[in-house]
Amino acid sequence: MRASFLRYLCGLLLKILSVSSCGNWVPWAPKPFYTWSLLRKVPPLQMIRCAVFFALVIAVSAFAETSKPDIHKSLVRITTTSQDPDYRVPWNPGNITVGIGAGFVIDGNRILTNAHVVSNGRLIVIEKENDPKEYIGKVEFIGSDCDLAVVKVQDSSFYKGTSPVHFGGLPAVQSIVDVFGYPIGGTRLSVTHGIVSRVDFQNYTYSGVDQHLAVQIDAAINPGNSGGPVLQDGKVVGVAFQGYTGDVAQNTGYMIPTPVIQRFLKDISTGRYDRYVDLSIQYFKLLNAAERQALGLPDDNNGVVVSSVEKDGSCAGKLQEGDVMLSIDNHPIASDGNVRLDGDNLDLAEVVERKFKGDKVKIGILRNRQPLTVEVDLEPNNSYLLQANLHEANPRFVLFGGLVFQPLSRNFMEAYQPDELRVRYYYDFYITDELYEEHPEVVVLSNILADPVNAYLSEFRFQIVDEINGQKIKHLSDVAHAFATSADQYVIKFLGSSRPAVLEKRAVEAAEQRIKRNYNVSIEQNLGNERL
Amino acid sequence: MKSLLFFPLVLALGWSTLALAEDTVPPAAATPKDKPVPELQTGSVVRVNSTNQQYDFFRPWNKKAPFNRRGIGAVIDGNEVVVAAELVANSNFIELEKPESGERTSAQVVAIDHETNLALLRPNEERFLQTLQPLGTDATVKVGDQLSVIQLEANGTPVSTQALVTSAEVGRYVLEDCSYLLFKMSCPLQYRENSFTLPIVKDHRLAAILLRYDPRSQTVEAISGPVIQHFLREAKNPAYRGFPRMGVQFSSMRDPVLRRYVKLPDAAGGVFIDVVERNSPAAKAGILPGDILLAIDGKAIDPDGNYIHPIFGKLSITHLTTTELYSGETTNVTVFRNGEQKDIPVELFRQPAESYVVDPYVIDRAPRYLVLGGLVFQELSRQYLREWGTNWAKEAPQRFVYYDRFQSELFPEPRKIVFLSQVIPTPDTVGYEQLNYLIVNRVNGREIRNLDDLSQAVRSPQEGFQKIEFNEDPRVIYLDAGQAESTAKQLQALYALPALQRL
Repeated sequence: MRASFLRYLCGLLLKILSVSSCGNWVPWAPKPFYTWSLLRKVPPLQMIRCAVFFALVIAVSAFAETSKPDIHKSLVRITTTSQDPDYRVPWNPGNITVGIGAGFVIDGNRILTNAHVVSNGRLIVIEKENDPKEYIGKVEFIGSDCDLAVVKVQDSSFYKGTSPVHFGGLPAVQSIVDVFGYPIGGTRLSVTHGIVSRVDFQNYTYSGVDQHLAVQIDAAINPGNSGGPVLQDGKVVGVAFQGYTGDVAQNTGYMIPTPVIQRFLKDISTGRYDRYVDLSIQYFKLLNAAERQALGLPDDNNGVVVSSVEKDGSCAGKLQEGDVMLSIDNHPIASDGNVRLDGDNLDLAEVVERKFKGDKVKIGILRNRQPLTVEVDLEPNNSYLLQANLHEANPRFVLFGGLVFQPLSRNFMEAYQPDELRVRYYYDFYITDELYEEHPEVVVLSNILADPVNAYLSEFRFQIVDEINGQKIKHLSDVAHAFATSADQYVIKFLGSSRPAVLEKRAVEAAEQRIKRNYNVSIEQNLGNERL
Repeated sequence: MKSLLFFPLVLALGWSTLALAEDTVPPAAATPKDKPVPELQTGSVVRVNSTNQQYDFFRPWNKKAPFNRRGIGAVIDGNEVVVAAELVANSNFIELEKPESGERTSAQVVAIDHETNLALLRPNEERFLQTLQPLGTDATVKVGDQLSVIQLEANGTPVSTQALVTSAEVGRYVLEDCSYLLFKMSCPLQYRENSFTLPIVKDHRLAAILLRYDPRSQTVEAISGPVIQHFLREAKNPAYRGFPRMGVQFSSMRDPVLRRYVKLPDAAGGVFIDVVERNSPAAKAGILPGDILLAIDGKAIDPDGNYIHPIFGKLSITHLTTTELYSGETTNVTVFRNGEQKDIPVELFRQPAESYVVDPYVIDRAPRYLVLGGLVFQELSRQYLREWGTNWAKEAPQRFVYYDRFQSELFPEPRKIVFLSQVIPTPDTVGYEQLNYLIVNRVNGREIRNLDDLSQAVRSPQEGFQKIEFNEDPRVIYLDAGQAESTAKQLQALYALPALQRL
């Protein structure tokens, strides 16, 4: 009796198995008699093993299907209409352009995408698969230093039928990934397929000065893929964001991996994006045997030496030039600057990469051959922003007497490409030579709107402003303040020259309307938000 | 400035530039203007053949490949020949050759001025030039004059081509910041071999020497007679002192607003002195930035920096201060300062190239260097920067370019800039291979102001180590002193360096 009952169960399981693999239950299908008759010939032990095996198979496949999120319910297409300012004509609002990227729904009724997809956005339109409606999105947070942004849709009906993605971990090199997005080559959703080629620190081109973990994949990443999810086993392991064009390198695309994404999401959970923190030091690898000996170090491939500490940075007053760094948060530092993290050799900067403003980091050092532990309060770095691409802000400038004053910045250099040696030196060596101390902002006479009031001043173009009427100029606002202060004449002195540019108040006032009219100037200054 | 516009055009199309290794001149269209000049039959010119070899500033122990330059020199009184300095710069061997007989002799440089591009040669065989008719010199040439450019046919027959002087202005010669009276002439010069530097005569007197020729516009630019005369007169001094340089940079005072600001009366001319160079005649005399320069040697200066020359009319004041006046002379400079006029006597002189912080040129001199364990140390010069080619101002390390241009402002004390130019990989320099263009501040605790300081400092290692400190990261590196010394010979043999230092 028992044996025949078992056989009956097996037969039932087989039936269920055959049904589930078809994916459809067709109740009116004729009973598979042949199955039953087959079972009669199978020995009991074999049947039990079969049953257990099949039960497990059914259980696993059933479970897997219910927990596998459908990316199509998370993926969105983002069309951004933006205005990119022109640093050469800083009072102009900028050209209106339209761009397309991708994004996906995450927890909290939010959409994650790249910062550059929604940069300078005036109107952000979000579309879902199989939904004709166009929804309006608004940027909630933008991370310029990691090229990520969170967008929210006001219309709550948008989220019906969507599901937030699940995030995976750092994928292994050589494992398979799929990229979802809306790249060129069509208008509907596109999927490309590849493997993980490399995990490394890369330059994030949005700011141009930040380096974080990035995963290189060989799946095609094309314009329009930006902001789109990269999936592995149903989980999002990255956001596709940049790549090389085919004539430079082939099959070389990059995605922002989950450690960077998770850090961004955690940072904004306070209600404000505080940016990456930085040690703000330079160090040198201790590979040379004589150097190691001179510093009193054993021949053990450990330690790097601090070569400079930025005066306003996190380590000011804590570390000094010549300190040998042996460990960071108890991770030993190898002589090439790497530490062992999560089973991988990564640059010691990665330890700080995972921290937040106000966090501390413990550094074990050797100072004058004495061991010491130093605790550093981590802060973001500000001086390097001079050489970062600035977005989300209109160019700052002051216009007076037809003279345009702008602060030195990467955008400035790219727009003007000045030949002037002094300006180029101040830009290139701003941090290295600590020029930020005397000139927190390097104010340059960038342009002269020709008018009788400034007829003899053309040779001052691209000179760096030192003083106006005896007041030292350290910020753009100092320029605005100097011109707002009443005086019969304004004597502008520049670095490296004794000859000033002199403007007489009467002439400037007489010329003001004429210049505004001729050059179609809408605003005469934009002081914006000054950098600290 | 006309000459500034002209110069890049000529570099692309023209003849003689320092960068040319050999004189390769494209043939010009045939013209019927050549005719033999009667008084030149007896010969007043010689062929000058020079084998030159420049030092390689990237590998300062090496010289680059030798090359030939062949030109024509003017025979002048006193058994001497005048040529352009470029012909014989860095020369190993100079030969004079009589055009008709082909007779040759070797020659020596008696005096050379790289700033005005002139050189004086003397044959080693004393009587060599006796059969030739020396030329006098002429400083009376003015715009509109007809001159003759002398070339030699392959068989030695002198040939002259007429040249019409179209302008006489201060313009750039060869080196940067070196501008003197330049004649421009319209001249349909035909291509003939060995035409690097040609004498230009007026009535059997040397009136100019060809600097460069643009075949497309058929324009000759030439070193002018007054400059040649000054050079020859100065060359008579046993110690050649060069053309004086006052050492001020000035800008126009045309702006009426600026004139009101400095309270300068409208009628007066004057230029605004922007910069007074360190250690210059102006600095030593007490001229200050901010002074308005009104007159020199009694000659009034207009708001554009010109004075009136009896022959040339409106001419840049620098012609007066560099060519009309001589080193050692004292001249009166009238300035306007704090609302009143002042007379300041200025003794004129030239600062030799070696006295600058960053030498403007290193010619006929070997570059100094020191190799320590594989680290190569050199002194910065503009000659080193020129190794980056004609676009060196943008392509050489920008910090160096900046220091060179603004050296007067940045380095008030006399010194050289010693830097690590490269690292020759050896076992002693493991980990340092990527280092380059780092300025050395101290070695073994001692401040380094020139290579001699460095050489001294490495004799006292600290606790067996050479401690080298730089101006930027990595800031400090160390070498094992004993090891570096013992492996020195191996390093020299391995890389075939003729010497590990030249100081």
